Formats: sequence, C-alpha cells, structure tokens
Amino acid sequence: MNTPNLYFLGAVGVFVGVLLLVAGYYYLQSRRKSAASWEDLFAKLTWIDRNKIAEVALDLVDESGGHKLTDDAASLEPSQIWTLTGGLDGLEVLERNSEVLIDLAFYVQQSYPEAIVIAERLRKDATELKWHVGRLRGAAQNGNLQVSFPFYAQRAVVSYYLMTRRLLTLYEAGNFSMLADLQRAL
Amino acid sequence: MHLTGLDLFFWVAGFLENLGLLLVLWYRRRARSFPFFTALITLVVLKTMVLYLVLHYGTKDWYFYTYWSLTVLDTILQLCVVYEIASRVFRPLDVWGNDVQNNFLWLLSLSVCVATGLTWLASPPARTWMQAFATKGNLFAAALQSELFVAMMALSISARLPWKTHVAKIAQALGAYSLLGVLIETGHSYFGVGRELPAFIVLSHLRMAAYLACVTYWVINLWRDERPARRMTPQMRENMFTLQTLVEYDLQNLRSRKNW
Repeated sequence: MNTPNLYFLGAVGVFVGVLLLVAGYYYLQSRRKSAASWEDLFAKLTWIDRNKIAEVALDLVDESGGHKLTDDAASLEPSQIWTLTGGLDGLEVLERNSEVLIDLAFYVQQSYPEAIVIAERLRKDATELKWHVGRLRGAAQNGNLQVSFPFYAQRAVVSYYLMTRRLLTLYEAGNFSMLADLQRAL
Repeated sequence: MHLTGLDLFFWVAGFLENLGLLLVLWYRRRARSFPFFTALITLVVLKTMVLYLVLHYGTKDWYFYTYWSLTVLDTILQLCVVYEIASRVFRPLDVWGNDVQNNFLWLLSLSVCVATGLTWLASPPARTWMQAFATKGNLFAAALQSELFVAMMALSISARLPWKTHVAKIAQALGAYSLLGVLIETGHSYFGVGRELPAFIVLSHLRMAAYLACVTYWVINLWRDERPARRMTPQMRENMFTLQTLVEYDLQNLRSRKNW
C-alpha cells in the first residue's frame, strides 16, 4: 500500500469515527433530555432571590418588559447592582438557570407544539443573556469588570427576568399543575 | 454493457420502490411539505427511465454523459434536501435565530473544509480525468452531506429545536446513506472505477441495497401520519394566543430598542 493511500484511508477512518462519536453523543443526550421528568428538570434550578432579580430588572424595564421612561429609571448605583446580582458568579448562576428555563419550556412544547412560540422566544432571551455575561467575562479578563459590570449585568438580569415571566405565563396559560412549584421558585 | 441478473433486480426494484415513494408523497400530500425531496425522487425515477432508453438505443458515450449529467443534478438536489431539512428544523417560526444561523454557517464552512481536505487526499486510480473528477466529486458530496446531517443533529439538540417525525425520518435515512456513501466512495477511490473490477461491482450492489433499504424506510414512515400532538383545550388555546400576542409585542419593543 503506498503512502498517499495510507494517509487517505487513515483520514477516512478518523472522519467516520469522529462523525459516529459526535452523532452517538448527541443521540444519547437527546434521549436523556426527552426522558427527563419535570421534577428532574426543576431540581436543576438553582435557588435565586427573585425579589433581588425583580429589583434590578424593574429598575430598567416595566412589568411587561417595556423600556422604563420615568425619571426614576436606571437609578440603581453600580455597587447596588453588584450586591443584588452577586457579581459575575451570580450572573453565571442566572446563565445556568436560563438553560433550565428553556428545558422547562421545551418540556411543555413536546406535548403542545403550539408552545414553540414561547420556547423560541426564551431561547433568544437566553442568547442575549449569554452575550451580556460573555462581555463581562471578557471585561474581567481585561481588568475592566468594574466599569462594564452595571451596564451588561443589568441587561443580563432583565433578560433572565423576562424569561421567568414568560415561562410562568406559559405554565399559567396551559393551566399546568406544576405552576405552583414554578411560582415558588421563580 | 453486460448486466447480471442481480444488476437487473436492483434496477427494477429501485425503480418500482421510487415510484411507490413518489405515489406516497403525492397521495398522502407530503409533496407540498417537501418539494425538494419530491423533486429528488422524481429525478431518480426519470433518471432510471432515461438511462434505460439510452442504454438500449444510444451509444456508450451517450450513456456516460447522460449518467454523469443526471448524477450532478442528483447531487445538487440532495444538497437542496439538506437545506429543506435545515430550514424545517431551524426556522420553526419562519425566521432563522441569529445564534442558530451563525452556528449553522460556521459548521457549514467547517464541513466544506473537511470534505475538501478528504477529497484532496484521495488519489483514485482512474483512466481518464473525468473518472477521477467524478469519483472525487462523489466522495466530496457524500462527506459533506454526512457532516451536515451530524451538524444539524448536534445543533438542534443543543438549541432544543424538535424534529417533526417526517423530517426526522427523511434526515435519518439520508444521513445514514451519506455515511455509507463515504465508505463506498473511499472504496472507489482506493480500488478504482470500472465494471471490470470485482470490487467496484460489490460496492455498487452494496450502495443499491442500502438505497433500497432507505426508500423502504421512507415509504413506510411517510405513509404513516406524524405522532399526534396533544390538543389544547379552547381555554388553553385562547390563553396561548394572548401570550403569543404579548411576546410579539415584546419582540417589537426589543427591536425598537436597538441602543441596547
């Protein structure tokens, strides 16, 4: 067997092996996600003080998510935002929780495909949240965290707050029995 | 060209199965949902008929050029089917999510690079440049398609975008066929192409058998209805409609706040 053919066969072997591994990994992950019960998903939520989240979010937006136009809008001090959110670590918890919120919406969507409108919106909110947290991680690496934190952190919290409101409204709309548990957690 | 009994069997069985699939697509009204897939199956049926006529009434050169022209068209339509599946999975509300679109484009570029690299490494023992080009082209198409199916699967599971039953069934069979296609094209690149080579005959039969299995899978699954979704009560539907209106309002609101 000549050397070029050996390289080619080796490359095909690696190519097929990697594709099968990736496909197998994601197949197992999808099986695990579909089989997860509501209680399993719910247990993944990290407890967060919803009053603090609401305080930070409602400083910038109103209850419906509209930009606040009153004089008292964006009145929180940077140090207050840091304390209420728990700094970058606190935002990382929100980031992880946002994934669970999408899973909880996806859980409903599997039975009621019409819920995709909300699940899709939640996914986009989570992308915004991750983008803001990502900017803060970058700022932390560059030593600019203190300067950037109030702006991005507050917007990340707004995204999270809106996600929780939308998810609660979804469960309320569906009149699902799990609503009470969710209300207590969010 | 001398055809064995097994060649004729695969030819007739493939033609009849494709015809059956086409009937299922139209009779069960799936054609409107999957126009590219229907076009691909229609092309395969027409290709069999045209090649049969050219084989009997045309010259060897005619057959060669007709076969490869239709194969190029076939490959283009297969890539269109990949797009059709991607658009079904990643645009559930007729709009691409920015994150999904960017990730998909990134994975598409990576897939093209990897498939190009693999094709560049292949050095098929071909008599003419056309044969070498065709063998490499087939390898490239099979590698690209199999990568795209795995990429779509990974991306949709990460983004929690569900696959509707029929889309999933089309993708599963096409993905498995593409992956097997990579192995078959690797064989062609290694052993060479030509009906005088026993390895070529075996690989061709293997490909046809795999294709027959895929068509049977499609016929059965596209005949069946999708898994019925649970129906919402009128009250739930009304609440969901209110929520949808609210979300659309939020979306407009967010878009108007571009300074965010």
